[in-house]
Amino acid sequence: MVLTKRIIPCLDVKDGVVVKGICFKDLRSVGDPPSLAVEYQDQGADEIVFLDVKASVAGAKTLLAAVTKTAENLFIPLTVGGGIRSFEDVRRTLKAGADKTSVNTAAVENPSLITQCAEAFGNQCIVVAIDAKRTDGSWEVYTHSGTRPTGRDAIDWAVEVCERGAGEILLTSMDADGTKLGYDIELTRRVVRAVSVPVIASGGCGTIDHIVEVLKKGEADAALAASIFHYGQHTVAEVKEILKRNGIRVREAVG
Amino acid sequence: MDYGVGNLHSISKGIERVGAEVEVVSSPSELLDAECIVFPGVGAFGAAMDTLRPVLPRLRKRIMGGIPVLGVCLGMQILFERSEESAGEGVGVLKGDVKRLKDGRIPQMGWNDVTPMDRTLFAGISEGTQFYFANSYVCHPSETVQAAWTEYGERFPSAVRKGAIFGVQFHPEKSGPQGLRLLQNFVKIAEGSE
Repeated sequence: MVLTKRIIPCLDVKDGVVVKGICFKDLRSVGDPPSLAVEYQDQGADEIVFLDVKASVAGAKTLLAAVTKTAENLFIPLTVGGGIRSFEDVRRTLKAGADKTSVNTAAVENPSLITQCAEAFGNQCIVVAIDAKRTDGSWEVYTHSGTRPTGRDAIDWAVEVCERGAGEILLTSMDADGTKLGYDIELTRRVVRAVSVPVIASGGCGTIDHIVEVLKKGEADAALAASIFHYGQHTVAEVKEILKRNGIRVREAVG
Repeated sequence: MDYGVGNLHSISKGIERVGAEVEVVSSPSELLDAECIVFPGVGAFGAAMDTLRPVLPRLRKRIMGGIPVLGVCLGMQILFERSEESAGEGVGVLKGDVKRLKDGRIPQMGWNDVTPMDRTLFAGISEGTQFYFANSYVCHPSETVQAAWTEYGERFPSAVRKGAIFGVQFHPEKSGPQGLRLLQNFVKIAEGSE
């Protein structure tokens, strides 16, 4: 049996508050990461990702407090990323209640960090996030929230991080991100076929069809999405219903 | 039991949620006084065993004496004799080896079907329920302890049971309401055996 395809809502968090617009009804604390995470869990989300988009020192503390509070009531996996720079940051984040940590810039600057963390915590805890941008025929890795080109080829980097012990890749297409025009199918498929670890596709989701496409044509193991859920456009349950109709195996959300 | 690395928050919260009291111990000698032991599923085989080594003979005796034990993921694997992941012995209260998965994307990361054979841990959990897995290794028991199976490139035991010793390869604390149900079943079994 193959694993079910995972649907992962992503919450962009800044100073402990979710920054993208939220339109849930009957939610007391709008923008509060722990309440939103539980709301998505109840809708049938397979995992939750918190991304610290500002990643300041003070913000990181607030985020960890939010992680701990979230973990009290969250019984699905929680990945936390953004501003994780060191072994100590990873340790602290896992200890606060995250199941996985996502590293991006720090992994590029110090690739041995991946191995060090994988050996200490197990590779299933270490997600490497790759921000990739198209440059004639290939994709270049960017760091520092997509502001700095690195000269590295995204496919080569994906292969390298797996060799170094990454347990999963969170792949964001910078070209697609924010457009709501669909995931970068070609990039996703290229990375999926190049590596042996699971790949989460991210960036560009505007409709349920985009999710169907990236899971089928892009061959991704999981799809991450933000605005489609945050703006109340669709619930996770609705997405899963459509995926099922398209012949994609998903986890049944059972109460 | 805290091996010093990783997230213990989730399993503790999961067990507290179903009504039991959890004490996280980081000194292995404290395990010897426990009424029931949970080995969580974080870290690596070798590192976990290094933590337990000072009390290993006494711990084995205590477990074989019938104290309820639940091993989750890595915590299940260390109950066996050996693992391909790290050199050195396991707790060894279950006979067999731990080997790397052969096929598919590794680690196995996500939700997979679990087919129960022994209903004790799975009471009230419907057939075809999926649980959350995050593992690169699986157990190969050399005695009849399999309590559920799962398929991922190969068929492997996703749950084992020998008396009051239970192990699950998936993470019940991360498997939604049905996972909590399983933890609750374990707590009931543990209470019943006191």
